[in-house]
Amino acid sequence: MLKIAHLSKSFDSLKAVDDISFEVKEGEIFGFLGPNGAGKTTTISMISGLLKPDDGIILVDSLDLKTQLRKIKKIMGVVPQDMAFYEELSAKENLLFWGKLQGVSRKTLDERIQYYLDKTGLLGRENDPLKKYSGGMKRRINLILGLIHQPRLLLLDEPTIGIDVQTKLNIYEVIREASSRGTTILYTTHNLLEAEELCHRIAIIDQGKILAEGTLSELIQIVGEKDIVVISGTFDVDQGQKIISSFKEATVISLREGQLVISLEASKRMTTLLEEFFKEGISVDDVSIKQPNLESVFLKLTGKELRE
Amino acid sequence: MKNIFLLTGKDFRRKWRNPVVIIGFLLIPFVFTLIFASIFGASEDEEALPRISVITVDKDKSLLSRFFLSSLSQGELKKLLSLQEAEEAKGRKLLDKGKASALLIIPENFGDHLWEGREVEILLLKNPAEQYLPQIVQEICDTASLLFSSLFSVFSDELDTIKGFVDDNQFSDENVSMISIKFKSKFESISKYVFPPVISLTEKTRAEEEKEEASALTISSYILPAIAVMFLLFICNVVFEDILREKESGTLMRMTVSPLKLSEFIWSKIVTSAAIGMICTLVLIVLGRFIFSIQWGHPLLVLAVVFCLNIVMAGFIAFLYSFVRTERQAGAVLSSVILVMALLGGSMIPVDNFPPLVQTFSKFTLNYWGILAFHKTMLQDPIREIFPILLSMVVVGLLLSLLGSYFLEKSLRKGLLK
Repeated sequence: MLKIAHLSKSFDSLKAVDDISFEVKEGEIFGFLGPNGAGKTTTISMISGLLKPDDGIILVDSLDLKTQLRKIKKIMGVVPQDMAFYEELSAKENLLFWGKLQGVSRKTLDERIQYYLDKTGLLGRENDPLKKYSGGMKRRINLILGLIHQPRLLLLDEPTIGIDVQTKLNIYEVIREASSRGTTILYTTHNLLEAEELCHRIAIIDQGKILAEGTLSELIQIVGEKDIVVISGTFDVDQGQKIISSFKEATVISLREGQLVISLEASKRMTTLLEEFFKEGISVDDVSIKQPNLESVFLKLTGKELRE
Repeated sequence: MKNIFLLTGKDFRRKWRNPVVIIGFLLIPFVFTLIFASIFGASEDEEALPRISVITVDKDKSLLSRFFLSSLSQGELKKLLSLQEAEEAKGRKLLDKGKASALLIIPENFGDHLWEGREVEILLLKNPAEQYLPQIVQEICDTASLLFSSLFSVFSDELDTIKGFVDDNQFSDENVSMISIKFKSKFESISKYVFPPVISLTEKTRAEEEKEEASALTISSYILPAIAVMFLLFICNVVFEDILREKESGTLMRMTVSPLKLSEFIWSKIVTSAAIGMICTLVLIVLGRFIFSIQWGHPLLVLAVVFCLNIVMAGFIAFLYSFVRTERQAGAVLSSVILVMALLGGSMIPVDNFPPLVQTFSKFTLNYWGILAFHKTMLQDPIREIFPILLSMVVVGLLLSLLGSYFLEKSLRKGLLK
């Protein structure tokens, strides 16, 4: 349904998206996981036609975005990161307006408004102006606005930022339901748990590049059975290098002043490693061992934790 | 086109929910007109002056003194002056208390001195607390005195004869006939100098007067359209500000990822702006008609002016918006342009008061043409004089809209991603 090939975009000297390629199948929820500034929103902006790529091809349902943007817009829905609607108007007025703009008939719209408001627990509040809604309620309306014309491709740009768990779960439910109906979903997030829970396949993006792509289990295999160990303390790069070079069981993922990230097959060997640090007179402030999961995959691929 | 109407409907609904700014801009011309009209002009009901209270003291109580005083309460003067007779002491007291605008004292022997052709002096004391009304009384008394003096000069012989008859009580039919003949022959001899009169009095019906009033500009009919044109530009600006707000809030971005064309979005703002402007102008016209009794002219012609004026204003504001990027820039640029145009175009000071060079610049403002079009309909000028103005407005309006739409689209495309 969505095919991206060698997509690139630069802003002056900054390469925001650097030759990325991926495919999303029909009905699939594809997670685009990466920290802030990784290039997620730039990618979505190019797919939605807001930004012109410097290079690369975007195909939506085999239609080339360069030449058939108008056709693509009819089958695409976008839920932006910021809430974009008219606060003076009611939920119903907003949904009717945005639905009509997508060419949906009034009769169909009435049915869908009823359905989605019911689904998101907002039925009964449809005539209230949106400025009276809470943050979570507004997020739900923001999502419905992207779904009201039941697009074949839905681009979701971090749709759950700043909301409570209950609203988050409700939004997941609506997204899963859309996916089960055949809507292809590109879901950007920097939340690992969200990606693990919701997405069929995930691409990890950092500094404009896709580092890995696959299902959750496929990604975990990148780490293998090894644990990821993060050691923080007062040491410089040379000291860290000296200790770890004598420790053959560990593979260095990243090493910088004060932090060493390694993958280690058996974390029981940790005591020996720590002893090496103490022998050198280095004080260790913190040690964390991460089991193989998306977080450890991200750490292994980027050498940094996602919250960074 | 369908999308433009859909967007216009949405904008109308939004403005309806939050009408404060537009109502504010709509009320200002109305309030300004009310203030100016109350300072410099008067409504129809207030056109007549209040009756001026004058206390008269007749110390002579002769036939001529009564004749003089009664001449002040004849004809039109009766509507203007309210005469109250009193003793001198009481009269002075009333004047001191401000109960009258003037005190007129006819001295003793007024009649005798007049018969004898001697100089007489009447005394007029004016109320110092009042500015204009005592002045009016003085003018009237001067005129009456002059008329009396002229009367006595022209008919001095006849009046002497009459006085002789009065003194001797000889009012026989023969004497009266003789005097009448004398008066007649005197009139005939002076008639070639007096008739036909240079000044004539014309009487009209109220309907005729109303028709003539329609072709004259009152203070309200000048001020309301002049200030309205300026504030209608501000109202247009309020609608166009939404373009930048929608850009900031992300709704414009959401629209551009829908099948909507960016040009449709811009044209919807032009249509909304013109439509809201037309409604506001019509509201001002109705208020002006009923509150300030402004005669706007033929309704169809007025509608045409409203339509064309708002087309050109919307186009002009759209054009200006293609040069601004932020709300702050828009606030500074648009307000400055609107105010300068208002000053040059006659919204603040009538253009006739400017030197010729400035008047040339005035013709490059919307205000000038808008005000001119309204005044021409008010003055019931022929359509052939109004039509070219309206046609120019529509042509310039569409041209500016096209340019504005083109440049605005380019500028919005650049700035869509914050």
